[in-house]
Amino acid sequence: MRLSPPKRPAALIPTASMADIAFLLIIFFMVTTVHEVDRTSVNLPLAKFRTDTEKGAAIVVMAKQVDPSDGIEHLVYKFSDGEEMSKIVGGPRDIYFEATAVVSKDPTTQFILKADGTVEYDKVDEMLDQMRDAGVQNVLLLTQQGTEG
Amino acid sequence: MKLKKRAVESEIPTASMADIAFLLIIFFMVTAVFSATKGLEFKLPKEEENSPPEEEEAVFVKVAADGSFTVDCKPMEIDEIIPYIEPKLLRNPEKPVILYTDGAAEYQDMIRVYDMLGSAKEDTHGFKVKNIAVPTRSEVQDYIELFGLNPFEARCS
Repeated sequence: MRLSPPKRPAALIPTASMADIAFLLIIFFMVTTVHEVDRTSVNLPLAKFRTDTEKGAAIVVMAKQVDPSDGIEHLVYKFSDGEEMSKIVGGPRDIYFEATAVVSKDPTTQFILKADGTVEYDKVDEMLDQMRDAGVQNVLLLTQQGTEG
Repeated sequence: MKLKKRAVESEIPTASMADIAFLLIIFFMVTAVFSATKGLEFKLPKEEENSPPEEEEAVFVKVAADGSFTVDCKPMEIDEIIPYIEPKLLRNPEKPVILYTDGAAEYQDMIRVYDMLGSAKEDTHGFKVKNIAVPTRSEVQDYIELFGLNPFEARCS
């Protein structure tokens, strides 16, 4: 008696759980995604022992950026009150007025100073002075992770 | 003649669900950014709290324009700061440390020293630098009006 050759099982990739995994990943990204009020690329200084920023903190940005029109590096100042996206401002004096408005609403508001590590300290000092004059007390110097901590 | 009507099966089409899901994943992955959300705490003094710390009682750290620094006018390496100030702060935990940075120095040089001063912890070192004073431009101006010269610049010369 001739037996028919055994039936080969069809190759099949089980995809039933793919949608579940996909939705799990979507939920993960939706939960972990935060609304950032500033996305300026800044070469932050390194520090080992850091603390977390507070939610809703105002942000002061001092970024070195090359102007494409003349190819010269300029110091760009930006400010965000912690709710709206950061906008370019003229300089430390404008930050003073912006900071005064924020402090008048809540004097305990944290101000994050996001400055390029290669900025001359004189410029940072001037900014800190203006912030101090505006009544800011709680400042956090934003850094990136050093080798430890 | 009576015609038999075949009932249509109700079904939600889910064939494209996985495609949409993966499109959303790609969107979130592309837009997600690694944000820096940590830094060093820095307390600015209130306008009325402008009384300068007692200079002779303080440890004086100066960051020079080239990034080098001195502690009480002695040139030091970054790792030598904590062992130097340890006995002073063990004797007097309230002793202020004045961190003065030359205007021409880079911001990261100041951060390097400030970070090192903040690294001393009660549980590991037995002391903590509680009072780090970083005089700002207007405070230095007040000193100049008071002493007739910049005491931070003149101190080690």
